[in-house]
Amino acid sequence: MNEYVTRFSVQQRLEHLCVMLLFLVLAVSGFAQKFFEAQWAQWLIVAMGGIHRVRWVHRGAGILFAAVVVGHLAWALYLVASRRSKPSIVPTRKDFSDAVMMIRYYLRLSDEEARFDRYDYRQKFEYWGMVLGSMLMIVTGFMLYLPVLTTRFLPGEFIPAARIAHSNEGLLAFLVVITWHIYNAHLSPDVFPFDVGIFTGKMSRERMEKEHPLEYERMHPDAEQESHDHPEA
Amino acid sequence: MTLAAALISLTGAQAAGPASDPPTNTFCMTCHDDPKFVHKLGNGEKISLFVDQQVFAHSVHGGKLVCIDCHADITDVPHVTKKYQNRHAMRVAYYEMCKRCHFPEYSRLLDGVHYAKLAKGDEKAPTCVDCHGSHAMAKPARPRALISRTCAQCHTAIAAAYARSVHGKALLEEDNHDVPVCTDCHHPHDNSNPLAASWHLAIPQLCARCHTNKPMMAKYKISTEVLTTYLADFHGVTASIERSEKADPRAFTATCTDCHGIHDIARITDDRSSPVIKANLLASCRHCHKAAGPNFPSAWIGHYEASPRHAPLVWAVSVFYKIFIPFVIGGLVLQILLHLWRVVVNR
Repeated sequence: MNEYVTRFSVQQRLEHLCVMLLFLVLAVSGFAQKFFEAQWAQWLIVAMGGIHRVRWVHRGAGILFAAVVVGHLAWALYLVASRRSKPSIVPTRKDFSDAVMMIRYYLRLSDEEARFDRYDYRQKFEYWGMVLGSMLMIVTGFMLYLPVLTTRFLPGEFIPAARIAHSNEGLLAFLVVITWHIYNAHLSPDVFPFDVGIFTGKMSRERMEKEHPLEYERMHPDAEQESHDHPEA
Repeated sequence: MTLAAALISLTGAQAAGPASDPPTNTFCMTCHDDPKFVHKLGNGEKISLFVDQQVFAHSVHGGKLVCIDCHADITDVPHVTKKYQNRHAMRVAYYEMCKRCHFPEYSRLLDGVHYAKLAKGDEKAPTCVDCHGSHAMAKPARPRALISRTCAQCHTAIAAAYARSVHGKALLEEDNHDVPVCTDCHHPHDNSNPLAASWHLAIPQLCARCHTNKPMMAKYKISTEVLTTYLADFHGVTASIERSEKADPRAFTATCTDCHGIHDIARITDDRSSPVIKANLLASCRHCHKAAGPNFPSAWIGHYEASPRHAPLVWAVSVFYKIFIPFVIGGLVLQILLHLWRVVVNR
């Protein structure tokens, strides 16, 4: 009897925890600078010990964040290249047809839901949005941190452009997290109040069968049969 | 010997008159009309005690005040001899007389750097009469150029730099009253320390008092966006935050004068020496950014808003996000709403 499926390795769970905490630090220290005219931002800056400390906290957290992202991508590339892992997060043609199918389902044009593999199209969208957004934040962040070095290689106008991009991309990332991610991990009726999977690494068999049926069937080739025969097995 | 004789005769005259009558100016002039009338200070320096009646009559106080209004300590003739060590000691003893009428100016003076120096016993620190004069006191700003001449008595090098600047030239050569004189930036009485961080961080707002004045700037074809464009940039943001923190900043951020110059500020359109024209900008950046290369100065897009013509990359990135953020967030919220709707329908 196996009620839970282990879905995330310890390393993956730690990566999520690091990114979550660093994102929080970066958002607080970044928005305090972006919205410095607001009362709450000035309060935050004073509480954190002045603008110069806020900036060093932001840079320090940014460097750690960059290390986590680069380490994650390098490790994932190594696993895929050495065939130790399948590139299950890479978008495929099926993701597009799944998306169309789900939208038809939501609009009640059809009653059939898409059947997903290890990651559904929304999770892939969020992952790649996060990877590309992070790359942009890291590159523009270092440009702003080291403007003298940057302008050895690039025209000066890239610095103010990087500032606009960093500021807006950070806002976009924050808005995506508080709408899309908070909905999917907390507020969605499917997981309310808290999908703990990324912290425990586990997902219940029922949810696996419902949300990732293709992956579950691959893990347990006889599972569908079993569950039909013995619903409580 | 004439002095001694005069004093003796005066003593007699004073004693003869009614005790309640205050001495008149004419009475004081019995002695002080003598151009050779001098007094020896403690340090051996001789100062003239001669008062030119014509000069006093034409001063702002002429016809309004009598001698003893200011020299209120004089009660007897001959005067009780006070031994001042030097001019400074004598002025310190006298400058408080002014506050009997000019109390607001006196109390502001107590907050100024000149008074702080005076209180520490600095003999170079000015008192009221050093700037305003004593018997020849005139309106301080008539003509307006008088102000810079007054300050120039001590601040010689700064006054010379000011005279070469765009502001100084306009004042001294064209008698232009739009340009600032010393006291427009440095308050005349409560002049705070211009080397303090709080002063440095307040410079953008100081310059902006004129440089955001549209009718005034229009005369000289100068943009009034200089303040907002500065404040929107990294240096401006830093200066604004540091000002709001009210603590002395630990690092240095550039304000107007760090790029444009202070007293020697030059016009950028026709002065090759201006530190902010393109040919000189890199050298100006390098005051702080020592290792800056030739591309570095264009990281500052000037006092302009980004536009397709000016800083097109900055403009394009800005426009992209104005569209992209609502598009992405709108799409995601729509998907969430569709999902919720279907959940409700299923029930």
